[in-house]
Amino acid sequence: MNSALTKEKLAQILDQALQDVTERTAGVRLHQGEQPLGEDLCTVHITFDKGFSTSLTLCADTSLLARMAGNSFHEETVTAEDLEEFSKEYLNVLCGKVAGAMFQATQVSAHFGTPTFYHGRYEPEGQEAQFVLTYADEHSKGAHLIHHVACPQEDSAAGKEDLG
Amino acid sequence: MSKRVMVVDDSRLVRVQLEDVLKGTDYEVAAYCRSGEEAIEQYGAVKPDLVTMDIIMKGMDGLDAAEIILKSNPDARIVMISSLAYGDTFERAKAIGTRGFVEKPFHQEQLVRVFGEALS
Repeated sequence: MNSALTKEKLAQILDQALQDVTERTAGVRLHQGEQPLGEDLCTVHITFDKGFSTSLTLCADTSLLARMAGNSFHEETVTAEDLEEFSKEYLNVLCGKVAGAMFQATQVSAHFGTPTFYHGRYEPEGQEAQFVLTYADEHSKGAHLIHHVACPQEDSAAGKEDLG
Repeated sequence: MSKRVMVVDDSRLVRVQLEDVLKGTDYEVAAYCRSGEEAIEQYGAVKPDLVTMDIIMKGMDGLDAAEIILKSNPDARIVMISSLAYGDTFERAKAIGTRGFVEKPFHQEQLVRVFGEALS
Protein backbone atom coordinates (compact mmCIF):
# COMPACT_ATOMS: atom_id res chain seq x y z
CA MET A 1 0.00 0.00 0.00
CA ASN A 2 2.80 2.32 0.86
CA SER A 3 4.17 2.68 -2.64
CA ALA A 4 4.81 6.41 -2.77
CA LEU A 5 5.43 8.04 0.59
CA THR A 6 5.40 7.10 4.21
CA LYS A 7 2.21 7.81 6.08
CA GLU A 8 4.15 10.22 8.30
CA LYS A 9 5.44 12.20 5.32
CA LEU A 10 1.99 12.36 3.79
CA ALA A 11 0.50 13.49 7.10
CA GLN A 12 3.12 16.24 7.24
CA ILE A 13 2.24 17.38 3.71
CA LEU A 14 -1.46 17.43 4.54
CA ASP A 15 -0.90 19.30 7.79
CA GLN A 16 1.28 21.99 6.19
CA ALA A 17 -1.16 22.44 3.33
CA LEU A 18 -4.18 22.68 5.62
CA GLN A 19 -2.61 25.21 7.96
CA ASP A 20 -1.33 27.35 5.10
CA VAL A 21 -4.53 27.31 3.06
CA THR A 22 -6.75 27.90 6.10
CA GLU A 23 -4.85 30.96 7.18
CA ARG A 24 -4.44 32.42 3.71
CA THR A 25 -7.96 31.68 2.50
CA ALA A 26 -10.00 32.28 5.64
CA GLY A 27 -7.74 34.07 8.10
CA VAL A 28 -8.23 31.31 10.67
CA ARG A 29 -5.48 29.46 12.52
CA LEU A 30 -6.04 25.81 13.23
CA HIS A 31 -3.84 23.76 15.50
CA GLN A 32 -3.60 20.00 15.72
CA GLY A 33 -5.24 18.56 18.80
CA GLU A 34 -7.81 16.06 19.96
CA GLN A 35 -10.93 18.10 19.41
CA PRO A 36 -14.18 16.11 19.42
CA LEU A 37 -16.62 17.29 16.79
CA GLY A 38 -20.02 18.63 17.76
CA GLU A 39 -23.32 17.44 16.38
CA ASP A 40 -23.84 20.09 13.71
CA LEU A 41 -21.36 19.04 11.05
CA CYS A 42 -20.60 19.49 7.39
CA THR A 43 -18.44 17.28 5.21
CA VAL A 44 -16.71 18.03 1.95
CA HIS A 45 -15.11 15.26 -0.04
CA ILE A 46 -12.83 15.06 -3.06
CA THR A 47 -11.53 12.08 -5.03
CA PHE A 48 -8.22 11.86 -6.81
CA ASP A 49 -9.08 10.37 -10.17
CA LYS A 50 -5.69 10.31 -11.86
CA GLY A 51 -2.26 9.49 -10.51
CA PHE A 52 -3.37 8.29 -7.09
CA SER A 53 -6.21 6.12 -5.89
CA THR A 54 -7.28 8.01 -2.82
CA SER A 55 -9.59 10.67 -1.47
CA LEU A 56 -9.64 13.40 1.15
CA THR A 57 -12.57 14.21 3.38
CA LEU A 58 -12.91 17.24 5.61
CA CYS A 59 -15.54 16.89 8.32
CA ALA A 60 -15.92 19.99 10.48
CA ASP A 61 -18.18 21.78 12.90
CA THR A 62 -20.56 23.85 10.80
CA SER A 63 -19.84 26.93 12.93
CA LEU A 64 -16.13 26.70 12.13
CA LEU A 65 -16.73 26.44 8.38
CA ALA A 66 -19.29 29.25 8.63
CA ARG A 67 -16.75 31.50 10.37
CA MET A 68 -14.16 30.72 7.72
CA ALA A 69 -16.72 31.36 4.97
CA GLY A 70 -17.77 34.64 6.57
CA ASN A 71 -14.18 35.83 6.75
CA SER A 72 -13.61 34.93 3.11
CA PHE A 73 -16.81 36.52 1.80
CA HIS A 74 -16.58 39.49 4.22
CA GLU A 75 -20.03 38.74 5.54
CA GLU A 76 -21.13 38.46 9.16
CA THR A 77 -23.72 35.84 8.37
CA VAL A 78 -23.41 33.30 5.63
CA THR A 79 -26.09 31.51 3.66
CA ALA A 80 -26.18 27.78 3.11
CA GLU A 81 -25.04 28.48 -0.43
CA ASP A 82 -22.04 30.51 0.83
CA LEU A 83 -21.11 27.70 3.21
CA GLU A 84 -21.18 25.07 0.49
CA GLU A 85 -19.37 27.26 -2.01
CA PHE A 86 -16.64 28.17 0.44
CA SER A 87 -16.17 24.59 1.67
CA LYS A 88 -15.80 23.22 -1.85
CA GLU A 89 -13.33 25.86 -2.98
CA TYR A 90 -11.36 25.54 0.25
CA LEU A 91 -10.91 21.77 -0.19
CA ASN A 92 -10.18 22.28 -3.88
CA VAL A 93 -7.32 24.65 -3.08
CA LEU A 94 -6.12 22.41 -0.26
CA CYS A 95 -5.96 19.44 -2.62
CA GLY A 96 -4.05 21.49 -5.14
CA LYS A 97 -1.41 22.27 -2.54
CA VAL A 98 -1.26 18.61 -1.55
CA ALA A 99 -1.02 17.43 -5.14
CA GLY A 100 1.73 19.96 -5.82
CA ALA A 101 3.74 18.73 -2.86
CA MET A 102 3.14 15.13 -3.93
CA PHE A 103 4.40 15.97 -7.41
CA GLN A 104 7.56 17.43 -5.91
CA ALA A 105 8.07 14.26 -3.90
CA THR A 106 7.12 11.59 -6.46
CA GLN A 107 7.01 13.23 -9.93
CA VAL A 108 3.52 11.75 -10.29
CA SER A 109 0.92 14.22 -11.58
CA ALA A 110 -2.31 13.82 -9.67
CA HIS A 111 -5.70 15.04 -10.78
CA PHE A 112 -8.83 15.37 -8.71
CA GLY A 113 -12.47 15.93 -9.44
CA THR A 114 -14.89 18.56 -8.23
CA PRO A 115 -15.62 18.44 -4.48
CA THR A 116 -18.94 17.30 -3.11
CA PHE A 117 -20.57 18.82 -0.04
CA TYR A 118 -22.77 17.12 2.54
CA HIS A 119 -24.60 18.25 5.65
CA GLY A 120 -23.60 15.90 8.46
CA ARG A 121 -21.04 13.14 8.19
CA TYR A 122 -20.16 11.36 4.97
CA GLU A 123 -18.17 8.16 4.52
CA PRO A 124 -17.03 7.43 0.96
CA GLU A 125 -18.18 4.05 -0.28
CA GLY A 126 -15.57 1.36 -0.87
CA GLN A 127 -12.89 3.28 1.02
CA GLU A 128 -11.46 3.15 4.48
CA ALA A 129 -9.82 5.86 6.57
CA GLN A 130 -6.06 5.40 6.63
CA PHE A 131 -5.50 8.22 9.10
CA VAL A 132 -7.23 11.27 10.52
CA LEU A 133 -5.69 14.64 11.36
CA THR A 134 -7.68 16.50 14.00
CA TYR A 135 -7.74 20.26 14.41
CA ALA A 136 -9.27 22.92 16.60
CA ASP A 137 -9.60 26.67 16.37
CA GLU A 138 -9.37 29.15 19.23
CA HIS A 139 -13.11 28.72 19.92
CA SER A 140 -12.68 24.96 20.40
CA LYS A 141 -14.47 24.14 17.19
CA GLY A 142 -13.05 21.17 15.37
CA ALA A 143 -12.20 19.81 11.96
CA HIS A 144 -11.06 16.35 10.91
CA LEU A 145 -9.09 15.83 7.73
CA ILE A 146 -9.40 12.19 6.74
CA HIS A 147 -7.21 10.39 4.23
CA HIS A 148 -9.16 7.57 2.63
CA VAL A 149 -7.76 4.72 0.58
CA ALA A 150 -9.57 2.02 -1.34
CA CYS A 151 -10.56 -1.02 0.69
CA PRO A 152 -8.24 -3.90 -0.29
CA GLN A 153 -10.95 -5.77 -2.21
CA GLU A 154 -11.92 -2.56 -4.05
CA ASP A 155 -8.39 -1.60 -5.02
CA SER A 156 -8.27 -2.98 -8.54
CA ALA A 157 -7.35 0.22 -10.36
CA ALA A 158 -4.19 -0.58 -12.28
CA GLY A 159 -1.57 2.10 -12.69
CA LYS A 160 -2.61 4.09 -9.65
CA GLU A 161 -0.82 4.52 -6.36
CA ASP A 162 -2.00 5.22 -2.89
CA LEU A 163 -0.72 8.51 -1.60
CA GLY A 164 0.76 7.01 1.50
CA MET B 1 -7.55 53.61 -17.60
CA SER B 2 -8.05 50.29 -15.86
CA LYS B 3 -7.35 47.04 -17.64
CA ARG B 4 -10.50 44.94 -17.92
CA VAL B 5 -10.30 41.42 -16.59
CA MET B 6 -12.74 38.61 -17.38
CA VAL B 7 -12.76 36.11 -14.53
CA VAL B 8 -13.61 32.49 -15.37
CA ASP B 9 -14.11 30.39 -12.26
CA ASP B 10 -17.00 28.37 -10.91
CA SER B 11 -16.33 29.62 -7.39
CA ARG B 12 -17.86 32.92 -6.27
CA LEU B 13 -15.22 32.96 -3.58
CA VAL B 14 -12.51 33.45 -6.19
CA ARG B 15 -14.42 36.37 -7.65
CA VAL B 16 -14.58 38.00 -4.21
CA GLN B 17 -10.88 37.33 -3.60
CA LEU B 18 -9.92 38.75 -7.01
CA GLU B 19 -12.01 41.87 -6.48
CA ASP B 20 -10.27 42.30 -3.10
CA VAL B 21 -6.74 41.96 -4.32
CA LEU B 22 -7.30 44.06 -7.45
CA LYS B 23 -8.62 47.03 -5.46
CA GLY B 24 -6.24 49.95 -5.87
CA THR B 25 -4.48 48.37 -8.84
CA ASP B 26 -4.76 49.11 -12.55
CA TYR B 27 -7.12 46.16 -13.05
CA GLU B 28 -10.88 45.79 -12.67
CA VAL B 29 -13.17 42.79 -12.99
CA ALA B 30 -15.24 43.47 -16.11
CA ALA B 31 -17.05 40.17 -16.41
CA TYR B 32 -17.48 36.96 -14.53
CA CYS B 33 -18.10 33.56 -16.12
CA ARG B 34 -18.77 30.39 -14.17
CA SER B 35 -17.80 27.87 -16.85
CA GLY B 36 -15.52 27.36 -19.81
CA GLU B 37 -18.51 27.28 -22.14
CA GLU B 38 -19.73 30.66 -20.83
CA ALA B 39 -16.25 32.13 -21.27
CA ILE B 40 -16.09 31.06 -24.91
CA GLU B 41 -19.53 32.56 -25.51
CA GLN B 42 -18.78 35.82 -23.69
CA TYR B 43 -15.22 36.52 -24.83
CA GLY B 44 -16.14 38.29 -28.07
CA ALA B 45 -18.76 40.47 -26.41
CA VAL B 46 -16.64 41.44 -23.39
CA LYS B 47 -13.35 41.91 -25.28
CA PRO B 48 -11.31 41.87 -22.05
CA ASP B 49 -7.69 42.92 -21.82
CA LEU B 50 -7.01 39.80 -19.78
CA VAL B 51 -8.76 36.56 -18.86
CA THR B 52 -8.18 34.63 -15.65
CA MET B 53 -9.08 30.98 -16.09
CA ASP B 54 -9.63 28.27 -13.51
CA ILE B 55 -8.95 24.69 -14.59
CA ILE B 56 -11.31 22.37 -12.72
CA MET B 57 -14.86 23.44 -13.46
CA LYS B 58 -18.07 21.63 -14.15
CA GLY B 59 -18.37 20.85 -17.84
CA MET B 60 -15.48 21.94 -20.03
CA ASP B 61 -12.26 22.46 -18.10
CA GLY B 62 -10.30 25.71 -18.24
CA LEU B 63 -7.46 24.38 -20.37
CA ASP B 64 -9.85 23.28 -23.13
CA ALA B 65 -11.71 26.59 -22.91
CA ALA B 66 -8.45 28.57 -23.09
CA GLU B 67 -7.34 26.58 -26.12
CA ILE B 68 -10.62 27.28 -27.96
CA ILE B 69 -10.51 31.01 -27.13
CA LEU B 70 -6.88 31.24 -28.27
CA LYS B 71 -7.60 29.44 -31.55
CA SER B 72 -10.15 32.06 -32.57
CA ASN B 73 -8.48 34.96 -30.72
CA PRO B 74 -4.70 34.44 -30.94
CA ASP B 75 -4.07 37.75 -29.19
CA ALA B 76 -6.10 36.81 -26.12
CA ARG B 77 -4.13 37.17 -22.88
CA ILE B 78 -5.09 34.31 -20.63
CA VAL B 79 -3.65 33.67 -17.18
CA MET B 80 -4.48 30.38 -15.51
CA ILE B 81 -5.40 30.67 -11.83
CA SER B 82 -5.58 27.24 -10.36
CA SER B 83 -4.53 24.98 -7.55
CA LEU B 84 -3.07 22.60 -10.17
CA ALA B 85 0.15 24.55 -10.80
CA TYR B 86 2.49 21.67 -11.48
CA GLY B 87 3.43 18.84 -13.82
CA ASP B 88 1.56 18.11 -17.02
CA THR B 89 -1.11 20.72 -16.28
CA PHE B 90 1.47 23.48 -16.10
CA GLU B 91 3.17 22.23 -19.29
CA ARG B 92 -0.10 22.05 -21.22
CA ALA B 93 -1.04 25.58 -20.18
CA LYS B 94 2.25 26.84 -21.60
CA ALA B 95 1.89 24.76 -24.77
CA ILE B 96 -1.51 26.14 -25.70
CA GLY B 97 -0.27 29.71 -25.35
CA THR B 98 -1.55 30.98 -22.03
CA ARG B 99 0.49 33.87 -20.64
CA GLY B 100 0.98 32.90 -17.04
CA PHE B 101 0.04 30.67 -14.18
CA VAL B 102 -0.96 31.75 -10.68
CA GLU B 103 -1.31 29.21 -7.93
CA LYS B 104 -4.22 29.35 -5.50
CA PRO B 105 -4.32 30.75 -2.87
CA PHE B 106 -2.95 33.87 -4.55
CA HIS B 107 -1.84 37.23 -3.23
CA GLN B 108 -1.86 40.70 -4.74
CA GLU B 109 1.82 41.13 -5.49
CA GLN B 110 2.05 37.82 -7.32
CA LEU B 111 -1.14 38.43 -9.28
CA VAL B 112 -0.23 41.93 -10.43
CA ARG B 113 3.24 40.79 -11.46
CA VAL B 114 1.89 37.91 -13.58
CA PHE B 115 -0.82 40.14 -15.09
CA GLY B 116 1.82 42.70 -16.04
CA GLU B 117 3.99 40.05 -17.66
CA ALA B 118 0.98 38.66 -19.55
CA LEU B 119 0.16 42.07 -21.01
CA SER B 120 3.71 43.09 -21.87
